[in-house]
Amino acid sequence: MDTWTFGWTLALIGMGGTMLVLWILSLLILLIKKLFPYRPEEPAAKKG
Amino acid sequence: MATSVLAPMVGKILKVEKKAGERVEEDDVVVVMEAMKMEIPVVAPTGGTIKVIKVSPGQAVEAEQELAVIE
Amino acid sequence: MESALFSGLQGLFLGIANLSLGQVIMILVGSALLYLGIKKGYEPLLLVPIGFGAILVNIPLAEMMEKDGFLRFFYDTGVLTEVFPLLIFIGIGAMTDFQPLLENPKIILLGAAGQFGIFLTLLLALAVGFDKLDAVAVAIIGACDGPTAIYVSSKFAPHLLGAISVAAYSYMSLVPLIQPPIMRLLTTDRERKIVMGLVRQPVSKTTKILFPIVVTIFASILAPKGAPLIGTVMLGNLMKESGVVDRLKSASENEIANIVTLLLGLCIGATMEADRFLRAQTLLILGLGFVAISLDTAVGVLFGKLMCFLTGGKINPLIGAAGISAFPMSARVVQVEGQKYNKKNYLLMHAMSANAGGQIGSVIAAAVMLSVLQGMGIIGG
Repeated sequence: MDTWTFGWTLALIGMGGTMLVLWILSLLILLIKKLFPYRPEEPAAKKG
Repeated sequence: MATSVLAPMVGKILKVEKKAGERVEEDDVVVVMEAMKMEIPVVAPTGGTIKVIKVSPGQAVEAEQELAVIE
Repeated sequence: MESALFSGLQGLFLGIANLSLGQVIMILVGSALLYLGIKKGYEPLLLVPIGFGAILVNIPLAEMMEKDGFLRFFYDTGVLTEVFPLLIFIGIGAMTDFQPLLENPKIILLGAAGQFGIFLTLLLALAVGFDKLDAVAVAIIGACDGPTAIYVSSKFAPHLLGAISVAAYSYMSLVPLIQPPIMRLLTTDRERKIVMGLVRQPVSKTTKILFPIVVTIFASILAPKGAPLIGTVMLGNLMKESGVVDRLKSASENEIANIVTLLLGLCIGATMEADRFLRAQTLLILGLGFVAISLDTAVGVLFGKLMCFLTGGKINPLIGAAGISAFPMSARVVQVEGQKYNKKNYLLMHAMSANAGGQIGSVIAAAVMLSVLQGMGIIGG
């Protein structure tokens, strides 16, 4: 593979891929937060 | 009309710069907080006279806790 | 007898006789690093062992980096095998609180934008004539994350390790000087004054525990070559958040991290042998590293502007600068800069979200890069 095909491929897929993976992670975080919402009584429950 | 000076985030009070009865202009520093190991000046949202200071140095504060009241 | 005395005495002068100009210069460079660490307090935990390592390796005839040399031993077992940076990652995971990010997950995208400098610098490094894998290693300085840079460069370009780690760590400590002018240049006065309110979205303990597990599984499957990086950071974080293995957590962030920092620092210093380090290439690497971190900041801020536009002006673009992974320096920079333009603006917690996103972002960016390289057949799999 010549240098510039290599460079541009890695740069474009790299930037797109990083953005994509982190976007998926943000959706996953939102999903977990939906499934396990914060409940204010939690600290009290921990003591018991 | 009374205006509250609220803590912008969780942290600790480092210094109280103004006393009750003192005049302040908008954007004057009223209290200096510490959060994430950095000093954060909390300013007066409006001009007026400090009616009461509700915190003292060393005290831990929650976000949106009332630090002082300006009239 | 007389001749024996003479040759014995000669042994004491062999060192001086073999001292080259390059070695003298590198001993001075090592001393300068020690000065910066001890007297100026710049990253002393790193600069003291690095500086001393650089002095040791340039002592003529001591052969500490030759086969069976004492520095060679640590270098071969810890750096060439990539074990040292990974152990450091466990400690970083154990020290990082991802709560600000979990409260506001869409901010994680700024942590992706803050890594674009890596890929743009890759193109620049290729343009100035670096080999493919050398260019990858130089570009990774843009991750603004010491262990990531060391991990990638020890894999692909161990001969550049010294220059790359010195660049990575020195620019990280210069973040408060590098970022503000770029932030000012790319934003309007109105944008800088945007007030971002409080984030009030408490996060449950279950979420905090599930986060490292889910990230490890999903991100590693998407970018398998980065699994060691992602896995170690997240293991550390899981130990912290689970709260059931305090002994292991505290060992990771204290004893293990301390021992590894010492040995890793010595090894980095040990790669600074005169004939390897004193080249024009080293200056080029330092220059490209600076460009990489500036580009990270620029793209982060520009992406912040995009998010500002898309949210109808709710996001202050300045927090984009915290999308790099220099934690928590760049979040502090954002707080200070934001308050310069609007005294009633407290951006710290928002910047912390972006900064935690940058922590993950740099690891993911490296992981994606490794996996793409594997896909292209450049590295083995």
